[in-house]
Amino acid sequence: MTDPAILTEGLTKHYGDVEALNELDLEVETGEVFGFLGPNGAGKTTMIRTILDLIRPTRGSAKVVGLDSHADAVEIRRHIGYLPSDLTMYPRLTGRDTIKYFANLRGGVDWSYVEELAERLQADLSPKVGDYSSGNRQKVGLIQAFMNKPKLIVMDEPSSGLDPLVQREFQRMMREVASEGRTIFLSSHTLSEVQAVADRVGVIREGYLVEVSSVDDLRSKAIRSVELRFEGSVETSVFEAMDGVTDVQATNHHVRMSYGGNLVDLLRAAADVGTLVDVSSQEADLEQIFLTYYEGSEA
Amino acid sequence: MLANVFMKTNRDRTLGMLLGSVSIGLMLLFAMAVYRDIDVSLYDSLPPVFLELFGVPEGADVASLAFGAIYSFMGALTLAGLAISMGSASIAGEERNGTIGILLGNPVSRSRVLAAKAASVVLLLFIGGLVMWAAGLWTPEVLGIEIADMRVGAMVFHMTVSALFYGFLALMVGAWTGNPQTASGVSVTIMMVGYLGTSILPFIEQLDGWERVFPWYYFNGSNPTLNGIDWEHMAILGGAALAFLAFGFVGVNRRDLRSKGTKRTLIDRLRDNPRTAAVAEKIAGSARVSGLAMKTVSDHQGMLIITGAIMFYVSILMGPLYALVPDETWAAFSSFPDVLVAMIGGTDMSTVEGFFQAEIFAITMPIAGAVLMISMGSRAIAGEERDHTMGLLLSSPMDRSKIVVTKAWVMVAFGFAFGLVTFLGTWLGVLMGGIDMGIGVIAATSLLGSLLILGFGGFALLLSAATGETSISSWATTAWVAVAYFAFAFLGVNPDTEAWVQLSPYHYFLGGDPLVEGMQWGDALVLAATFVVPVLLAIPAFRRRDLKG
Repeated sequence: MTDPAILTEGLTKHYGDVEALNELDLEVETGEVFGFLGPNGAGKTTMIRTILDLIRPTRGSAKVVGLDSHADAVEIRRHIGYLPSDLTMYPRLTGRDTIKYFANLRGGVDWSYVEELAERLQADLSPKVGDYSSGNRQKVGLIQAFMNKPKLIVMDEPSSGLDPLVQREFQRMMREVASEGRTIFLSSHTLSEVQAVADRVGVIREGYLVEVSSVDDLRSKAIRSVELRFEGSVETSVFEAMDGVTDVQATNHHVRMSYGGNLVDLLRAAADVGTLVDVSSQEADLEQIFLTYYEGSEA
Repeated sequence: MLANVFMKTNRDRTLGMLLGSVSIGLMLLFAMAVYRDIDVSLYDSLPPVFLELFGVPEGADVASLAFGAIYSFMGALTLAGLAISMGSASIAGEERNGTIGILLGNPVSRSRVLAAKAASVVLLLFIGGLVMWAAGLWTPEVLGIEIADMRVGAMVFHMTVSALFYGFLALMVGAWTGNPQTASGVSVTIMMVGYLGTSILPFIEQLDGWERVFPWYYFNGSNPTLNGIDWEHMAILGGAALAFLAFGFVGVNRRDLRSKGTKRTLIDRLRDNPRTAAVAEKIAGSARVSGLAMKTVSDHQGMLIITGAIMFYVSILMGPLYALVPDETWAAFSSFPDVLVAMIGGTDMSTVEGFFQAEIFAITMPIAGAVLMISMGSRAIAGEERDHTMGLLLSSPMDRSKIVVTKAWVMVAFGFAFGLVTFLGTWLGVLMGGIDMGIGVIAATSLLGSLLILGFGGFALLLSAATGETSISSWATTAWVAVAYFAFAFLGVNPDTEAWVQLSPYHYFLGGDPLVEGMQWGDALVLAATFVVPVLLAIPAFRRRDLKG
């Protein structure tokens, strides 16, 4: 059986009184694209830095590609690519020198693959890193993360600064990695991107992992926007009393609401209050789903 | 002027200024306490001309000598160094940090920002001067030492105006170039060359009077502790400082401001030229990114070249200069008591070895070498964390201990390279001056000097690895360098404190008189341990903690 790409058990990190991570149990399967979501300060970067042994857990443990994140840290690094958030590199080195430097440290890098990645991302490697725009600097960061074809690529906000065309190419690259049986762990706020490429997502809030699910599952049980059109005016109190119904608004013959339950129950209730002429239901996208989680954290 | 820029700059810099000035005040306290208890019979027999030379008025106690040793040397260099640090970071520092854009995105002019920064330099120097002035008056009072009509206030005033001169010089160079390293490098070089020039030229009959070309002369040439404020000299320094400020305003408004980007260097142009690309690529491209060691070499080679060039210049000059000084002058030094000898690095200037030790090995080599090693040691670990590159570096299959050890090996190579430059410069100087000094003793002393500065580098590396803070590492090591020198130079003159000298690494560098006696292998071992032990401690210190940044 293949080891999970990432496995954490009770992973906890406290900074004094600040609880950055709490009892995080997470399993990221090999060969998937896993989206890691959460509001600012939720603990995403802390989790990534902990599993990469850049910081040490207060409690709990983590395994990366089947190896202990602390005891086998060096061995793990032979099998991963990493793109940190707020990427900073050596300003006086050119993009090419920077890639060569990390390629030499990592070993096993095929330079023709580097050239191919640069071409796909439209990256000019000749300027100095200090002279790059943030988007072009990010491309260099992406190339160094992908260049050794690692088993696991961990990326923290990778799309920052990339233009839409490059973002699309980058999404294709991530899907290709997964199709080769390798794993992508993607922390991002670009929810449309996560929706487009991720097989599963995890949501972290205030240091707690509050949801792990496939994107499809999440969307199917998500609150959707429903609009019912009746032949005449109807009483809305029936809907307001239903479980899963919120935000009921009635105008003329229309009733709009947010609904998080079984659609059949809603239609039965609608048939009882009047003659139903039309129904429209809009499936929630990830952004709506996660706004619910995010807003919950602010409450 | 912008009040909020002024206040922010003050807030950023006040702690450094207070630490520097209070440290100098404490050094004065310790030095006076040591001097107070020594045998004064030698002091009483000193000819008045020597007392005058050291700014000691008639009727003052022997401890008054501490003012000359601490204030006119360490104090003046420290205050000027802090001023240079502030001046060079004013506009150029904002450009280096990439904050100038957001600052000037507000409705403020470049001139107003520069004015706020300049005002901050003036205020903080005033505060630093005030602390030293208070310490200068309070210390003799507390210790019951008679300083007669010694002009402490005049000395501090001279120090402050001199520091303002160097601070505004750095500010001007920074305003014109946008490069803080250039600004501080130019200013420190002018300061150090001036210090050395005014120390040596008066002894050379043929060059008598030429010391006036150096700014340092206008700080101390009039002997302010004895003669009070020399308004003419102060007008020269103050006027020059104002002229620098005015030029700075012109410069900052004439050029393009830098973003955080980088400038094109000569080697970049060579890489672009098809005829030189292959060679330049080997030197600056592939080679420097071939691994962590070569990258570290590349990162610090500029600093090695600068400090090595200064060291070479100073050391090669000393031979011919020594030959120019009349023998009678050197003979006069033989009557100096220990307390005065301590003030010139604890060396007997009446001998050729003493002269070389004082002018090259006791002060210049440790200071220039410590600058190099502190820069390397503090940036080794904490610098990568400050620049947010350590995380990326550690995503490579590399153990943290390997990073520490690799950087330490590069420090060893640079420490010995610096020693080699010192050796070559001194040896060539000796040949040029026709001086009878063996190559072996020069090599031995240079080697011990390399080990001394490596010890400072190891200390900086340990703090860098343990704390992840470049500022803690560099400031604490700088303080250790100063305390170690102080302990070696001054504690030995008092029998009660003599034993403490052994705690100073300088004792193992020059205590065995290597320029006379040759290599002291026992001392070399102790000095080597001052590097090896901190490096070994740095490994677990770095491995155990969370990464910063």
